[in-house]
Amino acid sequence: MDTPPAPVPATWQLRLPYLTLALFLGTIAALVWLTRAYDEEAQRATLINDVLWMEQNMRFHLDRNAALLAQLGPELLAAGLRAPSTRASLEQLLRAESGLVRVIWLDAEGKLKGAVPPLSEAHLMGETQGAVPAASILRLARAIGQPAYGPAYEVAGGDYHFEVHVPLYAEGAFAGTAVGVYSLQTLVVRELPWWFSERYRVSVLDADGREIAAKSKVAPLSSAHEYRMSFEPPGHGLTLRITAYRGETRWIPVLLIGSLVLLCGVILWSVWQLRSQLARRLAAEQALRNESAFRKAMEDSMITGMRARDLRGRITHVNPAFCRMTGYSAEELIGRAPPLPYWLPDHTEQRQALLDRLQEGGSTPEGVELRFRRKNGEPLDVLLFEAPLIDAQGRHTGWLGSFLDITEQKRAQELARQQEERLQATSRLITMGEMASTLAHELNQPLAAIASYNSGCMNRLAAAGEIDREELMEIHLRLGRQAQRAGEIIRRVHDFVRRSEPKRIPVDINVIIRDAVDLIEADARKRRIRLLTELADRLPEVDADPVMIEQIIVNLVRNGMDAMHDNPPQRRTVRLRTGQEDDLVVIKVIDQGRGIDPQTARRLFEPFFTTKPEGMGMGLNICRSIAELHRGRLGFESNPEGGTIFILTLPVEPA
Amino acid sequence: MNTACAHIIDDDEAIRDALEWQFRTRGLACRLWPSAEAFLAAWQPDWSGCIVLDIRMQGMSGLECFDALRARDCRLPVIFITGHGDVPMAVGALKKGAFDFIEKPFNDNELLDIVAQALAADAERQRAAADRETVQARLATVTAREREVMALILEGKYNKVIADELNISMRTVEAHRAKIFDKMGVRSAVELAQLLTGIRY
Repeated sequence: MDTPPAPVPATWQLRLPYLTLALFLGTIAALVWLTRAYDEEAQRATLINDVLWMEQNMRFHLDRNAALLAQLGPELLAAGLRAPSTRASLEQLLRAESGLVRVIWLDAEGKLKGAVPPLSEAHLMGETQGAVPAASILRLARAIGQPAYGPAYEVAGGDYHFEVHVPLYAEGAFAGTAVGVYSLQTLVVRELPWWFSERYRVSVLDADGREIAAKSKVAPLSSAHEYRMSFEPPGHGLTLRITAYRGETRWIPVLLIGSLVLLCGVILWSVWQLRSQLARRLAAEQALRNESAFRKAMEDSMITGMRARDLRGRITHVNPAFCRMTGYSAEELIGRAPPLPYWLPDHTEQRQALLDRLQEGGSTPEGVELRFRRKNGEPLDVLLFEAPLIDAQGRHTGWLGSFLDITEQKRAQELARQQEERLQATSRLITMGEMASTLAHELNQPLAAIASYNSGCMNRLAAAGEIDREELMEIHLRLGRQAQRAGEIIRRVHDFVRRSEPKRIPVDINVIIRDAVDLIEADARKRRIRLLTELADRLPEVDADPVMIEQIIVNLVRNGMDAMHDNPPQRRTVRLRTGQEDDLVVIKVIDQGRGIDPQTARRLFEPFFTTKPEGMGMGLNICRSIAELHRGRLGFESNPEGGTIFILTLPVEPA
Repeated sequence: MNTACAHIIDDDEAIRDALEWQFRTRGLACRLWPSAEAFLAAWQPDWSGCIVLDIRMQGMSGLECFDALRARDCRLPVIFITGHGDVPMAVGALKKGAFDFIEKPFNDNELLDIVAQALAADAERQRAAADRETVQARLATVTAREREVMALILEGKYNKVIADELNISMRTVEAHRAKIFDKMGVRSAVELAQLLTGIRY
C-alpha cells in the first residue's frame, strides 16, 4: 500500500496571516492607547493653563484692591467718611465681587481710626491671637512699605477671612495702614468666572490640608485631573486645589475605538472560524486521501478481477487482478471496445450476444461461466458477475464486471469427470470381462471333455479291427452328459440376463433426449461439436425404460461424435430429431461423419465387431437388444448430406 | 511304479474321464489325480513320464504345483492345460521350463501328440542321465597322473609336448594315453572330448 505523500505545509505561509493580524491588532491597540494618552495630556495642559490664568487673575485682583486701598487710605485717615467721594469709593471697593468684606484704617500708631462696616465691640484688636486687624501684619507692612497679607482665620459662619495691610504715607511719612479683610469664600466664589467653575472645582486648603473654602457644583470629580498650587498671596501655607469635573463622555472616539475593538473581535473570530474550517477541510482531505488509498489498496490486493465498462462497452477501468488474469496490461485494455483482445476468436458472436443481453436485462447475480484466452494463448475460464454501474447522481454510466478465475476448478472438474468416466468404463469392462471369462471357463470344461471323448471315438473308429459297441455307447452317454452340462450353463446365463428386464413406464421421448443431451453436452463442447435438437411437438408417450433409452441415445450420439472426429469446424453437428410415423415414435440421430461403408454396414450389429481402436464392439449390439426389448427397432441409413442417420423406432402402446 | 506314464492333474472329473478314454484309445498309459495336493503327496523322485497340469483348480493352482515340483528337483516335462489361456501366463510357464501349453478345448489329438513327445523327451533325458553315470564311473578309475596327461590330451597337445611339460619320456606318455583310452572306452582324443563334454572331471 503506497500512501500518497502528506502535503508539506509551508508553516511560515500559514503563520504569516496570524502574525500580521497580531501586529495589526497590536498597532491598533497602541494607536488607541496613544490617542488616549495624548488626549489626557492635552486635557492636563488645558487644566494647567486654566489654573495659571486663574491664579494670575486672582493676583491681579488682589493687587488692584491693594492699590485702591493705598489710594483711598490717606483720605480715610484724613477725613474719615465725611467726603462723599471717599464714601462712594469705599462702597465701590466693598462690592461683593471684590471679595473684601471690610475695610479698616489705622493711624501710624496702629490705633483704629475707622472701619466699614464698623467693628463691633466683640472684635479684638492688636497682638492677641485672633485679633483683627493683627498688629504683627501691621508692623510687617510698615517695615517693608508694601502691602502685607495675614494668615487666614476662621470667623463665625464657617467662613475664613484674611487681611491685607496696605501702608499709607502722607507727605513722605508713614501715616497708617488701610486694612482690607477678605472673605476666602467670597473671593473664591465670586472672583472666578462662570466658565471656570463649570469645568473645575476650586477649593482652598489650609496648612493642615483641611478644606476651608470651596466653590463646588454637584458633579463627579475626575481624580486624574487635579492640580495644586500654593495660594500666594495671601500665602501662609494656603493651597489652591483645582479639580476638573468629569467631562461629557466624548462619544465619537469611544464609538471609533469601540468599533475598532468590535472589528478586531470580528476579524479574530472570522480568522478563528477560517482556521477551524481549514482544519476541518484538511482533516476531510486527509480522510479522503486515506479512504482513497485504502480503496486502491483493497482493489489492488483483491483476487477478483474487476472491470468497468461504459455504456458502449468500452473498458474504462481494470484492476491488477484482472490484468494478472488476462495477461494484458491496463494500458492495453483501457479504452478498448468489443471485440476485446481476450475473447476467443470463434466466440465473438456469443460474447456480443451476452453483452447485448446484459444491456437489456441488467445484472447477472448468479454469474455466467465464460471462457476467455490469456495473452499467452492459455485458456481462461471465469465466472462473471455483471452489475450496472450507478454514479453518485444515480445515473447509469456503465457496467461493472467481477471475474473469478475458475480455470483450475474447471480443469480439475473436467479431469475428475474424465477420471470418473474412465473408471466407470473400466469397471464395466472388468465386470463384463470377469463375466465373460467365468462363462468361457465354465463352458470350456464340458466342451473340452466333449472334444476329448470325441477325439477318442475318432481314434477308435480310425483304428483297424473290431469296434466295441458297448464301449462306444458308454462314451457317447458321457459325451451327451457333457453337452447337457454346457447347455445348463448357457440356460443359467440366460436366466441371469432375463432378471434385468427393462422397467417400463410411460415416458416422453423428448424429455429423455434432453436429459441425454445434458449428459453429453460437456463432452461435445470439449470436442467442439454442436448438438442440435429438433423435437416434435405433442409426441405420444411410450412405455419404456428411460434409463435404457437414454443409454441408446447417448451411445448413438457418441458414435456420431466419434465419426466426425476429423471434420472441419463447420461440419461438426449432431442433430437429434424426433417424430411420429403411424403408431411409431421415431428418433433420428444424424451425424455428418465419414458414413458407413457397405462391408462395415453388414457387420455393424455383430457382437465384438468394432471400427474403433478402443471399442469393444458391444455398444450397437446392446443398443439393438434394448430396442428389441422394447419391441422397437434400431437401424441406420446414409445421410444424403454425408454421414449416417441412426433410426430408433419405438411402438406407441395402443391406448 | 517306475513305468513311464502321463500324470493327468485336473479337478474336473469329466475332463479326467474323457482324457483317460482318449489316452486309452491311443494306447498311452495315464494316471489321474483330482488335485495338485494329491499328486504332490504321492510323487516319488524316480517317477518318469510327464505331467498334464490344469492351471485353474480348486486348492493349489497348477502354477503353484509346478513351482513345488521344481523345488523338489522334479525333472518331469510339464504340459499346462487351461480354459483361461492367456499369453503372459503361457510365457511365464514356458520360461520356467514347462514343456508346452494347451488351451481347452483341445483340437483332436493335439494333447496326445504333445504327451507322446514329452514321454519321448523324458525317456531320452533318462537315457542321457544313465550315460553320464557310466562316464562318471569310468572317470573314477583314472589315476591322478593319468588325469594330468588326459587334461593335456584334451587341450590337443602332442605326446612330445606333453612329455616335455610333465618332464617324462615320450614312451611313458604313450603308455598313459593307451591306458586312459582303454579305461574311458574310447579310441581317439576326439571321442574322449565328446564323452567328457558337459561333465566335470
